[in-house]
Amino acid sequence: MKLFPLFFAMMLLFCSAHVVANMPTAGNMSMDEKGMIMNANPDQLPRDCPQISETIALTIRAGRKHALKLNGKMYAFDQQEWRVKPCTKINITFINDDQIRHQLMIHGLPGYLYPEGMFHLELNGEGSLQASLILPALKKTYLVHCELPQHAEKGMKAQLKVDGGDGDLPSIPGLSAAIKTDRYWVDWSHATVAILLLCVVIGATLPWLVIRLKKSKP
Amino acid sequence: MNKRLLILSTFVISLLLAVAFHFAPSLTESATLVPPATVVNDNQDIANIEKPCSNEHPEWRAAQVIEGVSIAEAPACEADNPYTIAAAVKGVNNISMATLMQTDLAQDAITLSDDLDHDGDPDIVHIKLEIVELNGSTPDGEYPVNSFAIAPGIQPGLWVFAPKSRGMAVKNFNSVVAAPMLRAPSPSIRVEQGDQVFISVENTHYLPHTLHLHGVDHPWHIDGKDNDGTEEHPIFPGTNGTYSFQARHAGTMIYHCHVQTAQHFMMGLSGLFVVEENQPNNWVQTFNIGAGQVRHSSVAVKNNYAQEYDLVYQSLDKKLSQIIQHYIDPRLIAQQMTREYNMTESFENYFLLNGHAFPYTLRDSIVAVHDNETIKLRIANLQRSSIAIHFHGHKATITAYDGVSQAPAAQITRDVFDIAPAQRLDLDLNTANNGLNSYGSGLWMFHDHVATGTTTDGMEPGGNMAILAYRSLMDDQGMPTMHEELLTELFNKAYYTKKQALWNQGDFAKLLGDAGVIAPNYVHIILFGLSAGLALGVVMTVFIFRNKKKNQ
Repeated sequence: MKLFPLFFAMMLLFCSAHVVANMPTAGNMSMDEKGMIMNANPDQLPRDCPQISETIALTIRAGRKHALKLNGKMYAFDQQEWRVKPCTKINITFINDDQIRHQLMIHGLPGYLYPEGMFHLELNGEGSLQASLILPALKKTYLVHCELPQHAEKGMKAQLKVDGGDGDLPSIPGLSAAIKTDRYWVDWSHATVAILLLCVVIGATLPWLVIRLKKSKP
Repeated sequence: MNKRLLILSTFVISLLLAVAFHFAPSLTESATLVPPATVVNDNQDIANIEKPCSNEHPEWRAAQVIEGVSIAEAPACEADNPYTIAAAVKGVNNISMATLMQTDLAQDAITLSDDLDHDGDPDIVHIKLEIVELNGSTPDGEYPVNSFAIAPGIQPGLWVFAPKSRGMAVKNFNSVVAAPMLRAPSPSIRVEQGDQVFISVENTHYLPHTLHLHGVDHPWHIDGKDNDGTEEHPIFPGTNGTYSFQARHAGTMIYHCHVQTAQHFMMGLSGLFVVEENQPNNWVQTFNIGAGQVRHSSVAVKNNYAQEYDLVYQSLDKKLSQIIQHYIDPRLIAQQMTREYNMTESFENYFLLNGHAFPYTLRDSIVAVHDNETIKLRIANLQRSSIAIHFHGHKATITAYDGVSQAPAAQITRDVFDIAPAQRLDLDLNTANNGLNSYGSGLWMFHDHVATGTTTDGMEPGGNMAILAYRSLMDDQGMPTMHEELLTELFNKAYYTKKQALWNQGDFAKLLGDAGVIAPNYVHIILFGLSAGLALGVVMTVFIFRNKKKNQ
């Protein structure tokens, strides 16, 4: 019995060393104890790309510690935006710094290459995965998020801009405004109150001053 | 101004005020001889009306064998996914990829191994749970995400333990409806007596939580570390914690989060936990998603009963549930929940049986019986107040209290079962038509007899109302027959959001519909306006006139 956790750990190590090669596959998906890769695309060119313009390596980290720089969030990616050229091939290394499940989902991709327009990496816990995708030439902003309940809502949301993108998506932490926002207390001090009262007094006496000024002119 | 003029104007002002007072309009008025006509309020907006049974997976109802696991027939409209049941019995590690793909389980959700006592079943159990928010808020708009309706149009904020899952947490990629495994109540968990059980809680939520095994035999500490899931040893967001035990005593127990227990328990972080008697070849159904019918009972239960049901009673305070819908920032939620919200001033507004309020209880918590069956019911009270469960047409027998068997001679047969918070009862429900145990075939209601329990935020019939249905009275989609009209009325969002009048049937639509409004009396309104206005004008004129005179 005591050997079981050890056996399990060895299985995990074995799997992580051969993650892509050894994952059982079903359709365009591979999965094991460590996580899953859905709709990876290392070689199929999008229709609007004559060739791959450049190949870049992108490391994306996910976890609670990346939310420390974002006020009022709990989970985040290490960056909230990435910019790439049209027809870029990205070799993604997805690293999960937490002990829980996280995902890296990219939405809005062409459905003929990525079923349901989705590229999806998932890690069952701490660790890393590697997978590639090729982006179309289209000038577009893609949603990148973790789809676990409340993870994107609590900060794990970002955007990937191809060719400068077609604008910002809503509620990207620190980058774009949310549609629904929280309300916070305003820091009212004595000075703030004094300024407010002073302005009221000035406003109230203004018509009187104007009349006095007019009267004294002729 | 001379004195006469002043007296005159005072008189005029008084007169005008008297007229104004007499004709003062108000929001309500006494009816005249003929009260206003009825406004028929029968909301037939297609967007509000739901099919009583969506009949999404009729193939899931049949008795079937998957991965060698025999799964009992489940006649209810929303039968559990049999592939998830097979995975819960065999462990994800012992099933094919094809079966796993029919479920939402992660590949490490349930790992069963090592037949330590050589009796034909696995004895080492690894269970992984996540913590899921349902009907929470989103910065992307004014709608709940990972939505889970407890009744038509009712989506209160909830937290649940859920088996570790994989992929999308919504039904499909352009929906905000929670994936089927993510629902209330937290799943029933079953292990065998003597199993070495390891339960990992992977805290995918944004607040700290624990898992406390209430009534389950477990060591308090292991290697100096907390194993009781107490408040001072929370599992923080993004981390995991494991609790382990080897239960020597079998019975119906519960589990719950013990951080800020009053609130977290009432948000839904509690579920049924059954330690099944150790028997040879006893592959138990580790998870019963959404509680309800157990489609693969343990050996001991199968030997003695025709069927088995888990009945989990739960209540929600809408003020508490709304916090996670009003705020997004976890700091604000933490502050509101721990310091602003006051449990001692709380109410129970929603009453759920297996995560649903009536009429949704008809879809997945119908107890479907044949004549002359003995059925095992495991009832847990996970709500804030006591319940008094009553079965129409039946008297059942209590065989165990809080997981401890009652000696047969001391067993009590009755028709109202009072269960204090966190208590459990095991009942034998006998459907022999003998005038004591059963009064015969029927669509018999069963519900909490505390008056509030059968309401949904005060709306009847709602709450934990459910049906004990004899099979001949159920249709092929698992719904009770002969109630079409009632079901059409109740499976309507307008009903539970209180926007629709009751009893819109025949003449009664007019006799009991909404009373109309009284037309404004414009003569009165004009007379009031003119007299009040004139009175004000006279006062101002007198005032200005006097001031001018003074200045001169």
